[in-house]
Amino acid sequence: MKKNIKKQNLTVTEGEAVATDEALAKAAPVAGDTPAAEAVAPVPAAAVGGTDVTPKKPKDKKEGKAYRFFHSETFSGYLFVLPWLIGFCVFVAYPIIQTLIFSFGTVDIRPGEINTTFIGFENYAKALVRDGNFTKALGDYVTEMVLYVPVITVISLILAMLLNSKLKGTGFFRTIFFFPVIITSGPVIKMFVDQGVASFPGIENLIDFTALAETLPQFLVDALQFLTSEFIMILWFSGIQILVFMTGLQKMDKSMYEAAKIDGATKWEMFWKITLPALNPTIVLNVVFTVVMQSIFSLNPIITKIQTDMNATDGSGGYGYASAMAWIYFIVMLAILGLAVLIFKKHERRPKRI
Amino acid sequence: MASFQGKKINPKRFHVSQLKFYVFLLPLALFMILPIIYIFSTAFKPAEELFKFPPSFFVVNPTWENFKSLFELMAGTSVPATRYLFNSILVTVLTMLISIFLSVSAGYVLSKKKFKGQKLLFEINTLALMFVPIAVTIPRFIIIVNLGLTDRFISNILPIVAMPVGLFLIKQFIDQVPNALLEAARMDGANEWQILTKIIIPSVRPAIATVAIMSFQSAWGNVEASVYYLNNESLKTFAYYITTFSSASTSSITQGVTAASALIMFVPNLIIFIVMQSKVMDTMAHSGIK
Repeated sequence: MKKNIKKQNLTVTEGEAVATDEALAKAAPVAGDTPAAEAVAPVPAAAVGGTDVTPKKPKDKKEGKAYRFFHSETFSGYLFVLPWLIGFCVFVAYPIIQTLIFSFGTVDIRPGEINTTFIGFENYAKALVRDGNFTKALGDYVTEMVLYVPVITVISLILAMLLNSKLKGTGFFRTIFFFPVIITSGPVIKMFVDQGVASFPGIENLIDFTALAETLPQFLVDALQFLTSEFIMILWFSGIQILVFMTGLQKMDKSMYEAAKIDGATKWEMFWKITLPALNPTIVLNVVFTVVMQSIFSLNPIITKIQTDMNATDGSGGYGYASAMAWIYFIVMLAILGLAVLIFKKHERRPKRI
Repeated sequence: MASFQGKKINPKRFHVSQLKFYVFLLPLALFMILPIIYIFSTAFKPAEELFKFPPSFFVVNPTWENFKSLFELMAGTSVPATRYLFNSILVTVLTMLISIFLSVSAGYVLSKKKFKGQKLLFEINTLALMFVPIAVTIPRFIIIVNLGLTDRFISNILPIVAMPVGLFLIKQFIDQVPNALLEAARMDGANEWQILTKIIIPSVRPAIATVAIMSFQSAWGNVEASVYYLNNESLKTFAYYITTFSSASTSSITQGVTAASALIMFVPNLIIFIVMQSKVMDTMAHSGIK
């Protein structure tokens, strides 16, 4: 109890020091205002860390140790994380590991018992070498990602910027653009795709692709064709990304724009020099999110293949084989994600102070 | 261009640029709204319109026939429909509350505290997020059996409360809450719980509302528990109940019943969306620090 009070006192005095610092910084000329506020942020964090690591009076060593443990961030951290961790381990992590075990065997499921016979890498060999459908689906998936991810990111950024401007009725538009969230993650989407609502009839006829093919390389035309036919799906998949970008944009430091404007920067320059660099973490987040959401989307051809093979009883598939495919898919997905993050992280730079 | 309308020097030009935006936004908004129109219009289509090829978008002669046949089928089951509905509502509400609470409290410490294994935990979560959800049905089933939860109501809820997507989104939003804000609260004597409820939760409301919508959907549409873990009819959910009709009924009315039940399943999604979206959209207006 005594120590607790001491500790609080300590924080308070340090806090006061910080507060005066801040006050001093605030008194500084206008231009220094926001950088100062940012610079203050790390100081208190360090101060708190300091009190935890070096308690001033470790009178009784044993008591001090226990005290330190129960008041450390490790303890409180785990306390907060524990309920989630238990649920996660039991119902998410453990099942995933179990599939890894299953993927190395044939799984025989009978009512009341499940028998696994170890067959080594047989399932993997089958998936990668003998099953043409799977490798083809995997290839399609990679191409699709390469096309989808940049397009979704760019479109959602543009839409977020539009929706973030002071237009009349933005509230209405924001609602509508967020709306697909309830379509894409629900069973409803299956109905739409089945009925062909997801593609806009006649949109392909708007552009003469055969004429384009004469001037442009074939893969570019293919990509264009794919994107126009999938246009609605792309819009539907941008709901959360738009939201994430919008929050990022609202966090922007307005004074930077003002400073840039005074220096005569155009809006175009401001976008490339201020908005984009500052949004970089948000872009990485969105890229990760897009890849993940696309990959686990329930109508994804690989997922449907895994599902049908999982339930196949004629010996062609089986649960072991489905598990192996799931793991291969998982690894490919990770590779794509790693690549995407690498590309965007490379361009990371601090927003320039103008 | 976007967040940069603070000082309107030239209001007249501003108006012209507005028009430009509308030209761009309106058609896109139309695309977004199409599915909802379609789902309503399909549910009221008479049989001959449902089977028409190519399918028409709007209903020509709206009819209640589909709903009538659905309700007739419902009346014929041994367990009343309201029982399934009650189960579903209970499951959905509990799942939403628990999963939001778990995600926020875990997201808070993973984002703002420093402790051993913190980064690793979040990385594992992100990895788990990417694993094919269907592939884990059987291991999950094994766990449910081993925990002795088959034919227990709770097996509707437990497997879906730890939502990796939810934690992922919420943690990323909490990252953006300035540390200075938490520090200020701590100086004023707020304890961890107060920081969580008074600061973190209000400032990440958009993320929470998003996760609420997502967990609502995963709970409301979840048939996994009813199909695999439960044998007792009176514990199963409405989503499962609805699917039994579209597969079991005679083919002539199947299409209509499917369309009507799709609408019935969809309407709660729409309601929750409308309730939540205002909270989603008023994003960071109250984050308190700039």
